[in-house]
Order: sequence, then C-alpha cells, then structure tokens
Amino acid sequence: MNVLIIEDEKALAAELEIFLTNYNYICEVCFDGASGSEKIGVNLYDFILIDLGLPDYDGLDLLKEAKKNNPEAICMILTARAEVFDRIKGLDLGADDYLPKPFSLLELYSRMQAITRRKFGLKQNLVDLGEFTINLTDRTISYHHDEINAITKKEFDLIAYMLLHKNRTLTRSQLSEHIWGSVINDDYDSNYIDAHIKNIRKKLNVFAPPDWLETVRGLGYKIKINT
Amino acid sequence: MKLRTKLTLFNTLSKLVLVTLFVLLLPVLIRNINQNFTDNKLQKQKKKVLGIIKISGIKNNLYAAYSPLKDQFYSLDEDSLDENLDTIRNEKRKIEGDTIEYRILSYNFTLDKKLYLLEIGKSIDSIGETTTPLQNIAFVVLLGMILLTVLADQLYSNYVLRPLGQIIKTKLIGNKFPNFGSYKKVKTTTSDFAYLDISIHKMIVTIESTFQKEREFISNASHELMTPVSILQSKIENMFEQEDLSDELKNRLLEMQRILNRLKTITKTLLLISQIENEQFLKEDNISLAVLLQEVYDEISIRLQDKNISYDVVIPQNWNLIHVNKFLLFNLFFNLINNAIKYNHENGEIKIVGTRENTSFAVSIIDTGIGISAGDLPYIFNRFKKMRQSLQHDSFGLGLPIVQSIAAFHQIKIEVNSEKSKGSTFTLIFPESLIEI
Repeated sequence: MNVLIIEDEKALAAELEIFLTNYNYICEVCFDGASGSEKIGVNLYDFILIDLGLPDYDGLDLLKEAKKNNPEAICMILTARAEVFDRIKGLDLGADDYLPKPFSLLELYSRMQAITRRKFGLKQNLVDLGEFTINLTDRTISYHHDEINAITKKEFDLIAYMLLHKNRTLTRSQLSEHIWGSVINDDYDSNYIDAHIKNIRKKLNVFAPPDWLETVRGLGYKIKINT
Repeated sequence: MKLRTKLTLFNTLSKLVLVTLFVLLLPVLIRNINQNFTDNKLQKQKKKVLGIIKISGIKNNLYAAYSPLKDQFYSLDEDSLDENLDTIRNEKRKIEGDTIEYRILSYNFTLDKKLYLLEIGKSIDSIGETTTPLQNIAFVVLLGMILLTVLADQLYSNYVLRPLGQIIKTKLIGNKFPNFGSYKKVKTTTSDFAYLDISIHKMIVTIESTFQKEREFISNASHELMTPVSILQSKIENMFEQEDLSDELKNRLLEMQRILNRLKTITKTLLLISQIENEQFLKEDNISLAVLLQEVYDEISIRLQDKNISYDVVIPQNWNLIHVNKFLLFNLFFNLINNAIKYNHENGEIKIVGTRENTSFAVSIIDTGIGISAGDLPYIFNRFKKMRQSLQHDSFGLGLPIVQSIAAFHQIKIEVNSEKSKGSTFTLIFPESLIEI
C-alpha cells in the first residue's frame, strides 16, 4: 500500500517512514505543503498522513485537495495543536481519523488497519491462536467454537492489539497507551497491564493454556504465531 | 430593585409628602388669608363710615344694627373711655341670647367734643366657612396633578432609561465569555449611557483578546512541547524494532520510554487544564450518570481488583446528565475514583451515592482510605501540591486540579470531608440545569 507522509518535522517524518516501511508500506515523504499538494495532484495513494501544522500550507486545505484528487485515499490528520474545534473541522472535511501528537507508532498502525478493515468491509476476520479463535470483527474469542464470555472488553482490546503487532514485543507503556490513552490522570505509571494479562491467562487457562501469549522478561508481552 | 422602579417610587413618595404637608397647612393658611382680607374690609368700611360722618355729622345717628343672620353688626355709640382705641380683634358678643364670636374693629374718635366709639363686626363662622371646600378642592386638584406628573415621570424615565436596560440585557446578562460576538451600539442620547456602553464594549474586547491570546498560547505551547515528545517517542519505538539490541540497551530504552511517558502525561494534563479554563470544550453531550459511571468502572475495575476493594454504586437510574462534556466528566469521575483507590487500604471500600435534596443533586464518592489531615485540606486542589502521606504514591499532583477545573467548567461544586486514617468523602453538587430526570 502507498502512503504519502506530509510532515514538516523531518526527524518525525523519517521515523514514520522507517516504521511504516518496516510494516510493508511504500512511503513517500514531503516536508512542506506545496510539494505535498503537488504529489497529491499527480499520484494516487492508499493513505495520506497530513500534519496540520505545516508552515506554508493550511493542512485542512491539503485535506480538501486530497479528497478531490485522491478520493479513494484514507486521510489521517496528525497534529500537535490542541484545538477541539480543529478536530471537529477536520472530521467534517472528511478526514478518516485524527491522531493527536504525540502518538505511538503502533497506535498509528493500529488505526490504519482499523480504517482499512472498515473501509473495505473485510468479512469474518478470524485468527487462530492455538486452540482459540479470535474474531476481530465481532470482537470475540472462542475455544473450539465456544465463545468465551469471561473476557472483558479491555482484555479483548489487549489481545487484539498484541495480535495486530504479532511477534513483536510490546512494552507496558505501549499497551497502556493503547487501552488508557484517552484517560487523563496523574499517575506516573498507571500500569495495570500485568494484572490484565494475569486475568486473561487465568480465564483462558480454564480451556487450554494460552502458550502463544508470552512474557518477555523485563520488557513486556507478545503474541507469538509461527507462520 | 430596578433603577426605574426606585426613581418612580421616590418621585411618588416625595410628591405625596409635599402635598400632604400642604393640605395639612391649608387651614392655617386660609384662616390667615381670610383674616387679612376681613381686616382690610373692616378698615375700608370704617373709612366709608367716617367719610359719611364727616359730611353729614352725627345727627341722632347713634344706633346699633345687625344683619338678619347675625353674621355682621354695626354700632356707633358715645364712648366714655379716655384712651384711644383703634383695634381689630376677636371677641364674643351676645346678641338676642346667642353668643357669637366676631371679628370686631373698634375705633373711637372725637367729634364736636364728644367721644364716639365705632364698632364693625363680622362673625368668625362666616369668615371660615370657605376653608373646608377650598381644602377639598385643593386636595383633589393636587392629587390629580400628582398622578399626572407621576405618570409623566414614569413615561420619561422609561424612555430615558431604556438604553441602560438594553446595555444590561444585550451586553451583560447571559453574555458568556468568550463570546466573540459583533459590537452593536446601543442607541442613546444620554452621554453617560453612551460612555457606559463603549466602556463595557472595550472591556469585552480586552477580555476576548486575552482569551484569544491564551488560546493561541495554548495551541502554540502544545505544538512546541508535543512535537519533540512525539519525535522522541517514535525514535524509541523504532529502536525497539531493531533485532540486534542487547537486553541492557532494551531496558534503558524502556526506562526512557517510561520517563517520556511521564513528561507526556504532565504536559497533556497541564494543557488540558488550560484548555478547560480557556473554555475550549463544548458542553453538548447527554449521558445517563449510571452509564457514565459504568464506563469509568470498566476502565478502573482492574485497579479495584488489584487492591481487593469493594465497590458499591447507589445512583438513581434515571439521572441523566445534560449539556455536559462527556470526555471531561469521565475524567472527573475517573480521577476521583482513582484517588479513592490509590489512597485506600487493601480490602477497603468505596461507595458512590447519589442523593437529591429538592433541586440539588449530589454525588458522593466515599472511601475508607488514609484520609486527609485538616491542615492539608485547603491545599489539595493546588497544582503539583503533594501531601506528605501521598508521597509514596507515584503521582505528580495534578489529579485534583483536573477534577476542580472540570467541575468549575460545569458549575459543579465540590465539597470535601475527610478524617485522617478514616477516609474521605468527595461530594459533587450538580446544578439543576445539568440533570434531567
């Protein structure tokens, strides 16, 4: 899939490119609005990531151009400006998602995946994990076709997030940012990931040991699938 | 009381007092006027009589006479007094058995070496008989005049004070800052009101430009602070992806990530507080309180389990929050309940109770935690203020400031009751306008 990254902060643009290339996206990077506008006018993309705070261009104008010239593209707005009004404006103008900076690259990938799934209406999105089956569309987990109801929404979120980034170690910070990102509180380390993982293991162990859910000592957790 | 009402009231009262005073003084005044008038008349009559006597002399002219109704009399007699008399005074006389009070002019004079006494009298009753009707007429006329002037005053003050009412209505009442509305001049010929109008307008402009500046500052500060954090976070995340990293390096990266998270949380929280105080959030959500608390519970239940704290919610199912910001209220409850967990003991209790007293709705969050000492209580809402007993907890002292600014933004009052080592109760008092049943 082709991604156009329009981001004036070169260091960040570079990291986005490295990360997304790693996840098998083909990236093009622009550091200003003018060249971004030019690229939007000429090429077709699957994803367009637009930074709202460009020095030479109103990011929202860029969004309009993208919607006109690249109607199929998924547009995501990245911004460090804390204005609710902009958020509303951005979504009204047809941005598919809005990601406030600073964001986790994993979160960006997860959002991109979610929109792709929504946009292309993927049918039953089933993943087998050992003797368990994860249904990403219905957000359920089952054991030999028996749905396991004990798993809470939060716990499923964690499993799905790790599944999306399968075979990669996710740190506790990354996991908690995903599931508690919108909560504003004043804890240094509001980290109850360990407790959640413990619960997930306990609940699944009733059926079969979830060997695929691994603890990476000192670092975090990962879901391992042999492909 | 309104200025117009006050003015009208004062006008009416002052006029009534004046008129009452005048009406009360009227009898005295009329009596004086009548007396002067009568005295003048008596003098004239005396002159006339003396004129006649001068021409025709007194030839058996000595006589006394009174009018049929005895309200006047006239007498000319020889006098035996030595002293000169020329007086007018009130005296009682007996005429045919009736004692009547008269105003009497007495004058004695010598003619042909004889002393004569002339007396002309007018009964007091006949003098005073016009007093009462005059008083009545005066009263009625004055009352009519008062009503007319009060009415005129009322109309005029209505007219002249209308711009003031307009200034209050359009510029002050229901004007929520920041408003950024356009300036509409209030029509008035009164220079004071024009001055007031322009002064208020200038003040609004100042306030709004301050708001605007603050808003720009928040936006810029947020951009300048968040961008570097964003770059660092991405760099660390990408470094994790490298496979040849030693465990030691990974651990150090992890530490960096945690510290960066701390910086991120503090910055986000501070920006959030300024955004709330700058009124940059909308209040357009409606949500059932029970549903909102359930959402908070879903997020926080893991922390309750971790400390084995019992959690009990007694909230009427039909309390709906209206015109609120859901995101902010979620965070308000999250932080209060999170604190109730954080500062609680293992196996402690948390209760959330909704009570209603007429039009006031209260939600109390009651914990069995370590409590707050009376000395610390006034400072718990200060930013970055950490209480001695909370030092061992990993927080940076912005939880309650968030709670306070969200509550203030929604006009929710917070009351705190706490006893050291017994627990704390945080009560949120919702205004009637936020709750629908």
